[in-house]
Amino acid sequence: MTSIIKFTPLSGALNEGPCCYMLQVDEFTFLLDCGWDEEFDLKLIENIKKHISHIDAVLLSFPDAQHLGALPYLVGHLGLNCPIYATVPVYKMGQMFLYDLFQSHHNNREFDQFTLDDVDTAFDRINQIKHNQTVTLRDKGEGLSITPVHAGHMIGGTAWKIVKDDEEGEVVYAVDFNHKRERHLNGCSLFDSGDSLSSRPPQLLITDAYNAAYIQARRKLRDEQLLTKIIETMRADGNVLIAVDTAGRVLELAILLDQLWRDTRSGLHAYSLAMINNVTYNVVEFAKSMVEWMSDKIINSFTDQRNNPFQFKHLKLCHNLGDLAQVPQPKCVLASTIDMQSGFSRQLFVRWCSDPRNAVIVTGRTAKGTLARTLIDDPTISHLNLEIYKRVPLVGEELDQFERQRAAKKASEVKKFEDESSDESDVEDASKPGQVQHDFLVTADPPKKGGGFFKQAKKTYPMFPYVEQRLKWDEYGEFINPEDYRLNEIAMLEEEVEAAKPRKLPSTDEPQEVEQQDETPTKCVREILGVEVKCSVSFIDFEGRSDGESMLKIVQQIKPREVILVRGDPLATRKFSESITKLLNSGAGSTSAVEVFTPAVNEVVDTTKERHIYQVKLKDSLVGSLRFSTAKDAEICWLDAKVDYSEGLRDTAQVLSATQIAESTETSRQIRLPLDGDEEMDVDEVVMATSKSAKSETKPLKIAESEYKNAIPCLEPLNLEETPGHQICFVNELRLSDFKQVLVKEGIQAEFIGGVLVCNNSVAIKRNQQGLIDMEGCLTEDYYVIRDLLYQQYAIV
Amino acid sequence: MEELESEISHSDSDLLRITPLGAGQEVGRSCHLLEFKEKKIMLDCGIHPGISGLAGLPYLDFSDPEKIDLLLVTHFHLDHAGGLPWFLQKTPFKGRVFMTHATKAIYRWLLSDYIKVSNISTEDQLYTEADLEESMTRIETINFHEEKVINGIKFWCYHAGHVLGAAMFMIEIAGVRVLYTGDYSREEDRHLMAAEIPAVRPDVLITEATYGTHIHEPREEREARFTNTVTDIVNRGGRCLIPVFALGRAQELLLILDDYWSNHPELHDIPIYYASSLAKKCMAVYQTYSNAMNHKIQKQLNVSNPFQFKHISNLKGMEHFDDVGPSVVMASPGMMQSGLSRELFESWCTDHRNGVIVAGYCVEGTLAKHILSEPEEVVSMSGQKIPLKLSVDYISFSAHADYKQCSEFVRAMKPPHVVLVHGEANEMGRLKAALNREYEDDPETSINIHNPKNTESVQLYFKGEKMAKVMGDLAIKRPNHGETLSGILVKRNFNYHILAPSDLSAHTNLSTSALTQRQSVSFTAPLSLLKYYLHQLSDDVVTLKMSNGREGLRIFGAITVVKEVNMLVLEWAANPVNDMYADAVLAIILRVDTDPQARKIPVQRITKPDLYREFKDRLEVMLESMFGEHSFKVVAPGEDSLPEDEIHLEIDNLEVKINSKTRAVSCPNDSQTEEMLTECVQRLYATIMPVGTA
Repeated sequence: MTSIIKFTPLSGALNEGPCCYMLQVDEFTFLLDCGWDEEFDLKLIENIKKHISHIDAVLLSFPDAQHLGALPYLVGHLGLNCPIYATVPVYKMGQMFLYDLFQSHHNNREFDQFTLDDVDTAFDRINQIKHNQTVTLRDKGEGLSITPVHAGHMIGGTAWKIVKDDEEGEVVYAVDFNHKRERHLNGCSLFDSGDSLSSRPPQLLITDAYNAAYIQARRKLRDEQLLTKIIETMRADGNVLIAVDTAGRVLELAILLDQLWRDTRSGLHAYSLAMINNVTYNVVEFAKSMVEWMSDKIINSFTDQRNNPFQFKHLKLCHNLGDLAQVPQPKCVLASTIDMQSGFSRQLFVRWCSDPRNAVIVTGRTAKGTLARTLIDDPTISHLNLEIYKRVPLVGEELDQFERQRAAKKASEVKKFEDESSDESDVEDASKPGQVQHDFLVTADPPKKGGGFFKQAKKTYPMFPYVEQRLKWDEYGEFINPEDYRLNEIAMLEEEVEAAKPRKLPSTDEPQEVEQQDETPTKCVREILGVEVKCSVSFIDFEGRSDGESMLKIVQQIKPREVILVRGDPLATRKFSESITKLLNSGAGSTSAVEVFTPAVNEVVDTTKERHIYQVKLKDSLVGSLRFSTAKDAEICWLDAKVDYSEGLRDTAQVLSATQIAESTETSRQIRLPLDGDEEMDVDEVVMATSKSAKSETKPLKIAESEYKNAIPCLEPLNLEETPGHQICFVNELRLSDFKQVLVKEGIQAEFIGGVLVCNNSVAIKRNQQGLIDMEGCLTEDYYVIRDLLYQQYAIV
Repeated sequence: MEELESEISHSDSDLLRITPLGAGQEVGRSCHLLEFKEKKIMLDCGIHPGISGLAGLPYLDFSDPEKIDLLLVTHFHLDHAGGLPWFLQKTPFKGRVFMTHATKAIYRWLLSDYIKVSNISTEDQLYTEADLEESMTRIETINFHEEKVINGIKFWCYHAGHVLGAAMFMIEIAGVRVLYTGDYSREEDRHLMAAEIPAVRPDVLITEATYGTHIHEPREEREARFTNTVTDIVNRGGRCLIPVFALGRAQELLLILDDYWSNHPELHDIPIYYASSLAKKCMAVYQTYSNAMNHKIQKQLNVSNPFQFKHISNLKGMEHFDDVGPSVVMASPGMMQSGLSRELFESWCTDHRNGVIVAGYCVEGTLAKHILSEPEEVVSMSGQKIPLKLSVDYISFSAHADYKQCSEFVRAMKPPHVVLVHGEANEMGRLKAALNREYEDDPETSINIHNPKNTESVQLYFKGEKMAKVMGDLAIKRPNHGETLSGILVKRNFNYHILAPSDLSAHTNLSTSALTQRQSVSFTAPLSLLKYYLHQLSDDVVTLKMSNGREGLRIFGAITVVKEVNMLVLEWAANPVNDMYADAVLAIILRVDTDPQARKIPVQRITKPDLYREFKDRLEVMLESMFGEHSFKVVAPGEDSLPEDEIHLEIDNLEVKINSKTRAVSCPNDSQTEEMLTECVQRLYATIMPVGTA
């Protein structure tokens, strides 16, 4: 039996690009993640496009753009039409990431790589599943099952296990995992042997070398560093800008900071703390409702004290710079995006960087060329030329032209609306003529309503302003109050704007009334702006990824038989691959060499292997004669048995007749014959089946080659004299320190002298160069007592 | 008789036993024991709401808590989880406990409330707040659909509807699957989703039978009837009492009332009270675990929280209640055994304008059940008889499956066995009959329905055909019929794999290892003397010259003996056979060293002893003693007609020839004698000659 395993990186291999890989298992092709970089490089899309028709399923591991950014494009523009699998948080937070990303770009420039509709349609295709939930694939993927396993890093973060039904050749795809427990997440559970669904080493491990050559400071140290930086800056009356992502790592930082602020000793509660992105409110609401995906500590504190850590005390949620302007100075702001290429982090950076009192903290390394990376690579940089996009209102000639176009468009649109429901046309009639054309700013609007938008970008949008009007039922306050409020906001903002540089235009048109803004036609301009970087810039790692050293240990622990390394600096990748090869092939008892592949983009790795496996049936008489000994969580024994095909052939007949009973999808299941006293039907059926096949058995046992293939051989016990001898095996790996405990428990004096375990001063036990155990001693009674104890540590078969 | 036979013919290892320890032909104190393949699982551990103290517990003395591996709790209701703190703290139970996240969060507050509310004297109290808190640390959580494997028991859970966090557990042991529904509802309501139908078919379905053959009225009708009744009562100037269980169904009723009030501004001046501090505490849980609710409410949650009620105020207790004019009060407990709902009921029941709406299932023996029969009088808590004048309505919102849902559920999965629990004996009997009727004309399906009483076991046999997978090098070639297959059989969680020892580390987390042993013993005699004696033990004695100039011997190709100063060092790779060889060698060493007789061998004889001659002599002695000196004739060797090694016998007039060198026996006239003698000769040879001699 051969099972085909082919792996093709489409992006993010031997470089630090976003993750996107294609994995073919037999006939079935998975797309493992589909990230997109900050620049929305169409080259990547071109690369996927070639294969798009082959893709049978998409597995997403994390909610950030690096892992699912291209999804809306693939679904919206390339017509990707296959099931997508992700955990519930990846689904929800992923949507937030993309909304924010879209909004960040759209606020300031024309953005046409995908629309919010594309995001919604793409996410509608996602099957939301839970960690450790095994999904059995159908049709083409018959026999394949996938299981998401907790991977840390971000909420809902997933490592995927892909298993072919024969249990042979399990593929594990685990990138960017974090084995360490954090404030809001448990460490990666992929490698716990405790409740793992299969305790066999995987055939193939696909992991990244992103952190291979990267040394992390201890978490405590980094936390302290962050605290010191914040306190220092804020005491000096400066603002702190922390560049974070939209809905992933930001949660960890938000909890950390809110805790710091709560701690009265820190003296921080006098200052303000805020979080800003286009979907802050939703991110926090979702986080609140996903407690069960977080760390044990959080779950316990919630069940015991009903403390939801995302019920922030100090953290203010902002959706635009107007909101933020209301937060008193000095403030510490968590702003997206992490790469500072777009979004509020970039806007705030431009505003704040020239003041030496301010501080900018970057929390993650992003791709080369991004503003964040530039700052990390050269923290002392003093002058930067930044590309600034902004949206400005149209004036003069342009405005006239726009008006003309709009009039034409309107005519056709009114017609379209009339075709729709009468409800909508009522609304239409009531509206002023100038209000109809929302399509220009359609998608810019929702976040201004406090992020309360969901899945309704196009259809419901044209009604939105009128819904506001309908709320008039309470004539006394509702309608006027927000207006008052808004005026306030404008006043505040204008102050702020004046304080900042005058070019800070994009935000000025924000706090206007919604309708007002809809009417203002805008265009996008791009300029290169030189900024002086006077503020302090620092990089504090809050990426939440396992470091290189730990990754090595983890790889050693899970003992994969093949490894594919992706995503990482070429040099680091090669080095990492060497260390893994060395590590995995040095262990005692390993029979075949472990291969490590480091493919480049579009380089196919073919790890197709001839795999040998067949099923046998164990006769009860055989099982009854076996004496098992225990080794770890398994029981083992030596088996000598005679292969009997006559039974097997009969059984295939039986299996066929019993297909209604046994499920054919699960070959690993035992074949069961319910034999209850009053269930004569089934018993009869079985009897019939057996008698039928018994007839066929009476014919001389001539077995054709093809029949052999399908027949399940049966194992029968051998007669005593037929039993061949065999080499005795000791199964287990003994740790001398464990054995010492055993000895001490038995009242035998035992201590280590120069690595040798000396027992009762008469017997020495040590590990020799090959890693095997040597036992040495005089002929004494102790010798035999200790030897017995030593033997008990092994399963001897 | 037939049953007896079948029991004998199946081994005990195929027996799956389901024993209700509570909720067998009754409602309340759900607790079931599932035993299969030496695994024991307890499903739920509730208390009977109608019985107080220890008597309200399930029949736990029919189980051995110490041996139970796993306890699964389906939802937080007292009759499913109420006995848990007692079971965890007061029994030697050591296994693991699982429930869903929402269940655990609410369980803690619900039971703490139960401890406070239950007006039982302290010595009758099953457990204290401290016990409850300690039990929290032992409870583990499981997500819906998440698979866990504990001790070879694989299990996962499905949404069950009913209440927030309610789960149905699917348990798989050795390929046999049992689905325990707990309480479930197949109808989507305002906040919960309908119970899922598992994609995999169970072999045994343990289902609730609460409503027997009843059929619920459609949800819209029921809601309309409810809101109409409430409106009627308040419109006639009465007070409306809705006794509810603090958590679970109450939230559904609150959603209905709040929604109804929002749509009927004319009702706005009639207050709705919800008298439960517990519900307030658990609101955070409802807001957090919204993922367990239906999609409608999840969408709504994204916009605003429907659990922030606009028209419902919380009532802390009677002392805060200003009872003037019409009002709607929801109060716990749901069956009015005691507490606030009872107090309100007693103060309101004499006014005919007032009304009570019983909105949930009532257990026999409670006041709620009693008033449904519309008695003239009821007995108050203080023992007085008071007239019952208020109107009593029964509108069930209890979200248990009715006959239609239950029958659909069974039909969707067609499990070979259905065990009915959690239902009154009569209802259960009717349900059993009805289900049986459904399938009596269906030759395709045979479904056995059981309705065991408490402590009565249902015994089912699942014949396990054990399949193993041969993997690795061992599987490269499929063996032919009659060939031998040898390898290590690894058994884990009822899965069998057969491997070559060298593949062990590649395919499992196990690895093979090796041990060497070195033993020193004092020895003063010359090595050559030892060698002489060792030759008697084994033919395979090789003299070694060690690199450091020392002399050594190698016996059996496994044991190395090195001569050191006044000492011998034995070294061998440990395994049972070599250990035995080593012991034998050691015995000789000790004898040579200590027995002065053994050293008396003349030096010139210290060569290889003539073992063959010895064998021949002994053979003759043996034959003599077997057949007697006179009854047979030993032809002495060396006679002309005979080769030297041959022995001729005449036993009972049979001619027998034995070759002492080749050990061939020939007796042309009687094969039986020939066989017997061959065996004797072989055995003697094996006994006398050194090990390893051909």
